[in-house]
Amino acid sequence: MSSPLLALGKQKLSLRVAQTSVRYAGRQESGGGDPRNDIIRRALYPSNIRNRPSPVGTWRPDVGRRLQRAIPSAQAHETIERAWLLHQRHVRRSRSAELQRKFESVRGAMETLREVAPELYVEANKDEDPRARSAAEMELLKKLKGPEKKAVEARIRGLFPRELRIPTDTPPKNGWVYDFTPVTRIS
Amino acid sequence: MLALRRLPRFTPRIASVRGNATLEAASQSQSTAAPPPSPSVTAKSSASHKSTSGNADAKGSSSGGKQNSGGRQPAQQATRGWCRPIAKGVEPAYDYALRYILKDAGFIRKELEQLRAAVAAEEKKPEDQRSEATLEEMRQRVGILEIQSEANLPNVRWNARNGLADMNQPIYRHLVEQRWREEGDLDLLMERIYQMSVVPDMLPELRPSFDLRIKYAEPPPKDNYLRTRVKRKLKQVEPGIFLVPEQTRRQPEISMTLFHTDTRLYTLLMVDLDIPDPETQSFTSYLHWLQPNIPLSAFTTSPTVPLDTHTRYVPPHPQRGTPYHRYVLLMLPQTSPTEPIDIPVFSEADRLGFNFRAFAEQYGFNGVRGGGAHMWREVWDETVSHIYQHTLKKEEPRFGKLPRADPYAEIKRSKKYL
Repeated sequence: MSSPLLALGKQKLSLRVAQTSVRYAGRQESGGGDPRNDIIRRALYPSNIRNRPSPVGTWRPDVGRRLQRAIPSAQAHETIERAWLLHQRHVRRSRSAELQRKFESVRGAMETLREVAPELYVEANKDEDPRARSAAEMELLKKLKGPEKKAVEARIRGLFPRELRIPTDTPPKNGWVYDFTPVTRIS
Repeated sequence: MLALRRLPRFTPRIASVRGNATLEAASQSQSTAAPPPSPSVTAKSSASHKSTSGNADAKGSSSGGKQNSGGRQPAQQATRGWCRPIAKGVEPAYDYALRYILKDAGFIRKELEQLRAAVAAEEKKPEDQRSEATLEEMRQRVGILEIQSEANLPNVRWNARNGLADMNQPIYRHLVEQRWREEGDLDLLMERIYQMSVVPDMLPELRPSFDLRIKYAEPPPKDNYLRTRVKRKLKQVEPGIFLVPEQTRRQPEISMTLFHTDTRLYTLLMVDLDIPDPETQSFTSYLHWLQPNIPLSAFTTSPTVPLDTHTRYVPPHPQRGTPYHRYVLLMLPQTSPTEPIDIPVFSEADRLGFNFRAFAEQYGFNGVRGGGAHMWREVWDETVSHIYQHTLKKEEPRFGKLPRADPYAEIKRSKKYL
């Protein structure tokens, strides 16, 4: 029972069996056939050129050369990196310094107001709900219709306008509106 | 001058064509009398496409031979200095970055000068008028600006990496220390110290404050014929590796990089942590070497005083039958940086059973306050027998496990089948 298998194991098979190259395909005449078959064939049986990168990228012999072209000198790269980070630091510091200056200026103004007119100071310090609508605004809303009403309702100070459209990858079906005029808020 | 630094384990092939002044390139540039790496590169780069000029530049700098962009080799020529890694025009971003950095350095230098003048003026004031807090703050700011004004300059960074660091200047001390702490050397040392349990076993806490490097003789050649015919060079020891007792017969060559300009006194000691103690069926320590009162500063790269005047160096001798021994070399700062301490010389009997914790408490040593450390491991070899016979002049002990009583002895004697 096992003797044919043992016999098979004992015979020494050559490494190259009748030159059948199964994995790699030579140039195929595609002609008028389906191009998808060619694509599948090219994906399954890539060309056997020795020193090119493997299809999925597991072996890339040209990385060194490409890196050398992109970054010819490690020292130069470090210098550029440091200069860029230094620039970012300057920008960040100037922005925060400007913000600090504005904040201090407003704080100084509020201090002055507190000394000069305490009632107005209290008024200025009151929290305001930007969504709150006064009586006059409610009356106005009852009269408005359509886009004007939407403009009043959707645009609240300090919040995103509700009409803001998220950018899409593809353009709209109806095309670009060339003669668009926005509805400005009246009040 | 900084001592040799060990070469990186992985040297990418591309590193051989990158980079900056090598010895050959420096001499070439001197012979052609042009600062950029090669004149052909400047001629090409002015006209051509960036890719071809990049290639030409790579060829130009590779014609110099060995790479030096990481700067792993020490200064061997006094004429060596920084020059631009790539010619003007090859990489516009680099040219702009260089101008930006120089401009910023100029601004910081001006601010530094003004601050220094302010500090001087504050110091000139009589005691009651000056404010110590503001003076201290200004001095700290001066220190920060001194470093910031030069930390980005490529020539300064190149010098710090290539052994041309002048320890008189705070920027070089800062860069060299930063490199030791952050680019892997200290991490490797601490990794080995913690993995080999030196820290809980010998001392509770260790925070090295300077780079301590050791050189022992290289291992004997594999070919027996060459053993006595080849002169053994000294080789840098990586912390934690196994050494052969033959390498450690003689005192090591110690080189250091400290980061404080004032001279402080340190104590050197070398301890074996794994001497077997049959009485307690456990392990004890052995003091191999002790040398107190060694004056060190940022300008001393190796000890200036002789190291064999106190407790002499005894070569490591891991006993036969024991597992590997850990040898720790410490350079600890003394309590007072200027006053020498008086430690009695350890006799042979006192060396065995050396208790570091008691010693540290007695003389005020603490691993938290800084210092330098190193360690390696060794296993028994025939050389140890030689050491016992000729250097220690004692009988060599042999250790092993006691034979266990055979639980089946009775059964083996009786018959199995009736």
